[in-house]
Amino acid sequence: MRRTDRYRYPFMMTVLVLLQFTVRSRLGGDRIAPDFLLLALLIYTIRAEPGKSAAAGFMLGLLRDALTPASFGAGALAHTLVAFTSSWAKAVFFAEHVFVKGCLFFAGTWLRNVIVLLVSGRLQGSQVAWELLVWSPLQALTTALVGVVVLWFFRGWLSPRRSRASGALGVSA
Amino acid sequence: MAIGTDRYASRGDTLLFVACVVLSIAALSLPDQWRDPLAQGLRQSVLAPFLFLQRQTELLAAARYRYDAVVAQRDSVALAATFLPELRSENARLRGLLGLTPRLGYGYVSAEILHQPEPTNPLSFVVSAGRREGVRPLSAVVSPEGLVGLVASVDEHTSVVLSWAHPEFRASAIATDGSVVGIAAPHGAEGPGVWLLELQGVLYRQQVPAGTVIVTSGLGGVFPRGIPIGVVIGPAGEEKGWGRTYLVRPAIHPAELSHVMVLTSARPAGSDLRNAFTVPADSALPREAPPR
Repeated sequence: MRRTDRYRYPFMMTVLVLLQFTVRSRLGGDRIAPDFLLLALLIYTIRAEPGKSAAAGFMLGLLRDALTPASFGAGALAHTLVAFTSSWAKAVFFAEHVFVKGCLFFAGTWLRNVIVLLVSGRLQGSQVAWELLVWSPLQALTTALVGVVVLWFFRGWLSPRRSRASGALGVSA
Repeated sequence: MAIGTDRYASRGDTLLFVACVVLSIAALSLPDQWRDPLAQGLRQSVLAPFLFLQRQTELLAAARYRYDAVVAQRDSVALAATFLPELRSENARLRGLLGLTPRLGYGYVSAEILHQPEPTNPLSFVVSAGRREGVRPLSAVVSPEGLVGLVASVDEHTSVVLSWAHPEFRASAIATDGSVVGIAAPHGAEGPGVWLLELQGVLYRQQVPAGTVIVTSGLGGVFPRGIPIGVVIGPAGEEKGWGRTYLVRPAIHPAELSHVMVLTSARPAGSDLRNAFTVPADSALPREAPPR
């Protein structure tokens, strides 16, 4: 890990968190605006181990549940599952391409919404269909686009950490 | 390259994941009486700064949207505020007139100055009182501070007033202690002293110190005795002949006025109006006790 990574990575995460609470409401409807918090979590899962990712997802989900008590616990479960799956998938798929990461952001956002909808059970019938087939894909798309842009501009900052044992190029196999 | 798959096989990761899932399910099954305080605690502690930030952002956005309206309102208020000093001044002047009224007792008419945009307006102006209100030619026009001028011509409901700045204005003047007698006249129409008066015809042997208050003497029957004219500020250049001339700062500038009082009836001989006005302090001479 480069010495500057110690500051750049938390800085980038802080910026994403601040964006969530400042500019997100100005980026269109609440159902389609990008989810910066989830994006930060997914970027974190790229670098972190699955267990830490799950813990981070649980904490983030619990905090978000505090803001939407009607589905308390659903967010925690959804973020836990998504974070763990993302970290696991990143390790398995072994890809560093930006497009693959964009797909990861899209799938993570959509999956999170699906889990929240199913677990909370607050919506029924056509509402669920609209959410799953229209609004969630749109939000996943915007989140993925923002994620790709973030990775593109800050690729040097957000590159995966390399294992000390893997050598200079980080080859582990 | 990059991350190895060996990290996934960690047992600790799996245990942590299972623990988070169990906690999430436990949170899902929490009863309302436990869930609400927990959510409230999170909102008031960890999430408090973020909610504050979001609230401030919303306020900022709302302020931005309302900026134009606020600017328009501010401009309107600023425009209205420009008239505030005038209103205050007019209010003070009207209060002064009300105070002057009981001191004068009788024989006066209040009138409003109908200001005109011409630059010569301070020399002569129209007031909203005329023959119907009892105004006569050569009536004295005063304000709470002192002499303003005299009525030159009278119409039905208006009158034309020559102020002390008019070149033809003259008034018999005297110092408040009676030591100096002269003729008050406008200093001139050019130069920096254009809005000053002169006290002409002072005897050569008499020295008039600066600060001496000059009032009307009552001689000639046009102005009653005791109307303040102004304060001596110094000699007016080189002496010529057997008399001296002094510069006098007028008691009031006509342009500052919005209302005046026209003295309409003759006063008894020997009456003195000094106590009716706000006479400026005489810095050169000790103030005399007001006549009884």
